[in-house]
Amino acid sequence: MNPKAAAALPKGGGFLFACENEPFTPEQFGADERLMADTAFQFAKNEVLPLLDRLDAQEEGLMPGLIKQACELGFGGPDTPEKYGGLGLSKAVATRILEKLSLNGSFSTTIGVHQGVAQLPIVLFGSEEQRMRYLPRITSGEIMPAYALSEPNNGTDALSVASRAALRNGAYRLSGTKMWISNAKWASLFTVFAKVDGERFSAFLVERDSPGLEVSREEHKMGLKGSSTARLILEDAVVPQANLLYLEGEGHRVALNTLNIGRCKIGAMALGQMRSALHAAAKYSKERKQFGRTIASFGLVRQKLAEMAARMFAAESVLYRTVALIDSAFSAREASGDEYDETRKACEEFQIECSLTKVLTTEALAFAVDEALQIHGGYGFTEEFPIARLYRDARVMRIYEGTNEINRLFAFERVMKRGLLDALRDGAPTCPAHEYLILAARNLDASKPLGQELTACMSDLTLLTYAQQSANLRAERMRRENVQFADFGVDAAKQFEASATGWAAARCAEALARMGVKQNVSLSSAGQPRDVADAVLESDGYPL
Amino acid sequence: MKLLVPIKRVPDPYSKIRLSADAAGIDATGLKYEINPFDEIAVEEALRIGEKLSCEIAVVSIGDAACEEQLRKALAMGAHRAIRVDCNETLDSLGVAKILAKVFEREKPDLVLMGKQAIDDDCNQAGQMLAGMLNLPQATFASAISIVGGIARVTRETDEGQETLELKLPAVVTADLRLNEPRYVALPGIIKARSKPIETLSLSELNVSAECRVRTTSLSAPPPRAAGRKVANVDELLSALRSERGLKL
Ligand SMILES: Cc1cc2nc3c(=O)[nH]c(=O)nc-3n(C[C@H](O)[C@H](O)[C@H](O)COP(=O)(O)OP(=O)(O)OC[C@H]3O[C@@H](n4cnc5c(N)ncnc54)[C@H](O)[C@@H]3O)c2cc1C
Repeated sequence: MNPKAAAALPKGGGFLFACENEPFTPEQFGADERLMADTAFQFAKNEVLPLLDRLDAQEEGLMPGLIKQACELGFGGPDTPEKYGGLGLSKAVATRILEKLSLNGSFSTTIGVHQGVAQLPIVLFGSEEQRMRYLPRITSGEIMPAYALSEPNNGTDALSVASRAALRNGAYRLSGTKMWISNAKWASLFTVFAKVDGERFSAFLVERDSPGLEVSREEHKMGLKGSSTARLILEDAVVPQANLLYLEGEGHRVALNTLNIGRCKIGAMALGQMRSALHAAAKYSKERKQFGRTIASFGLVRQKLAEMAARMFAAESVLYRTVALIDSAFSAREASGDEYDETRKACEEFQIECSLTKVLTTEALAFAVDEALQIHGGYGFTEEFPIARLYRDARVMRIYEGTNEINRLFAFERVMKRGLLDALRDGAPTCPAHEYLILAARNLDASKPLGQELTACMSDLTLLTYAQQSANLRAERMRRENVQFADFGVDAAKQFEASATGWAAARCAEALARMGVKQNVSLSSAGQPRDVADAVLESDGYPL
Repeated sequence: MKLLVPIKRVPDPYSKIRLSADAAGIDATGLKYEINPFDEIAVEEALRIGEKLSCEIAVVSIGDAACEEQLRKALAMGAHRAIRVDCNETLDSLGVAKILAKVFEREKPDLVLMGKQAIDDDCNQAGQMLAGMLNLPQATFASAISIVGGIARVTRETDEGQETLELKLPAVVTADLRLNEPRYVALPGIIKARSKPIETLSLSELNVSAECRVRTTSLSAPPPRAAGRKVANVDELLSALRSERGLKL
């Protein structure tokens, strides 16, 4: 790649002071990409949704059968290179596919882990031999992989795992307990993180039948009951030396870069479930009558529908903008450089965006399932309607792949560490939330530790800026290109702008108060946007 | 052997159809398009025949460039090549049959397999007219097809029960709903379809003109269904039908 092209490439955190000319939006998918997404949607609708009770009862063989079937259709590794049995699609298309597969939480997590965090360590950091040995079997659905980082006493603080590894007679011996391992019940291959000689944090590919490895019983969870979550007990488990993944002492790179991409996969999973929630809410509100009218005719119900759709529109805009940026970073990798180094750089470039995407999409989902359940009244609190399950299943999304707290803290700490604060302070606002972010940033004393509370305020302002900007840019593009549902896009973006500006003002006021700055934060009103409830009702859910 | 499957681009049967403001047509905003479901069943059947016998499967659609999306889908399902007859004009069933007859003469397939009707205009005529024009044996509403030694055995579902016909190939067969359930379009198939050819033919190349003798005079949306009510038993139902609907039961 020539240096000129490098200069033109978007940089991580770039939205803080400008926006790229044309962020990618889902409207840009071509006909065959839409066809792929449609196959995913049809599969989820026809094969997964009819089985939810049986899946939640963990009926033997049912979920692995679905995963196998999904892999036969090409869902085993959409963005894994063709050489390893994947389809070599862009992250953007793979994200759309996962989104459409994700109408239900349990299936979504199972296939999402299969395509994502469980497979990525090998795709990104495996040796050629390791990739050839495992990936074709994973993408074809012959075996399922799992990702084993968390431990009973080390969740958020993942890099201080207690699991140990030692090299003896040409093989590693691993000891420790891994907790919350998704797909553990069915997996044949685990990426296990442990410290060699108690020091060098490293990743290992551990096969299920390794002597000394045991998968313990399923956790009794509040939701996502159809997915498998279990502990892994390693007692001097024997792992051939050839199964060290990447380098000794470099496991943190494997873990963190995988999670970076994984956070976008979470975004796709959240959007898919949001779609189900909006569908349930729209349908129910048209059917249910009170006071002789359908509840869809009441202002407060309409307001909920509109706000859900507006937040989903923003979440979707952010997700696809982020994954397309990652695609650009991956395609800019230099062939001449160290492959792993280049991959790492590509994964890390947009880590701020990845963390923000995770928080934004999962919180939009939380809002959607909560309000959709509220629209169902007492019936929503029963198992008679699908919303109760959606509500339970969604809850974990704010917890795994880095809790939203840790992602918030991380995002703004990265802004500071990357030295983006100055450019942010000097920049011109691109949207109303951005004005509040700049105002807070200008008053920030970066020489003092901020403390978590203030960091979170700054992070929320960053997040709202990214979301508002992405939604507006997308709406503008939809209008300009006169695509289908352009009106909906424009109205949804306006509605999101109105609510997000309100939050931004509040977060900015809190930030300034925490800094001890005495200044009134005024809220400029954008006027009352036309609501999008009609579009949601008309489409029986999210229109796009 | 060679199979020819005509497919039509129609609005997605699950999308809501609204009339355009001037009521002269349907409002295309936000409308998704699909392969006519009966035609998709025909494509699926062709693929299944092709899995047993070695066949070349060609799909053909008449329309503007937009219908290449549906042709691509058929290619992704497994058809080998596609033909688009470029035509922007509205056609009636006879107009369609005349164009297909020309395509038939060019392609000389052993079997034309098509949907029994298109779900947009519900005419259920093109297949029959095509067979008539070409003087070929026909079997409509097929619910099972097998081909052995130049003979197609076709089971049809009629009001009197099942009927099985034997047709000497070449022939025209139209597919009913129960013939099969079309497969999912697998992702590797979609990627493969990118490099399969779509040939475009003009009406003049086929030496045919676009014909439409049927004129649509007006369109109206079906009236909204009135709310139903529960009756206690059959007697009450019968008396309600007699008194309220004037039925002689
Ligand atoms: C269904 C399910 C599936 C999972 N699948 C996997 C998997 O496949 N592989 C895997 O490795 N893990 C998996 N996990 C584990 C998951 O990633 C962890 O639960 C998560 O990282 C949080 O860790 P913890 O549960 O130990 O919570 P803790 O780390 O104990 O956190 C408790 C609370 O404290 C907060 N907190 C912690 N540290 C800080 C801090 N520094 N500052 C501010 N707040 C803080 C957290 O945000 C949280 O609110 C899964 C979990 C669940 C529930």
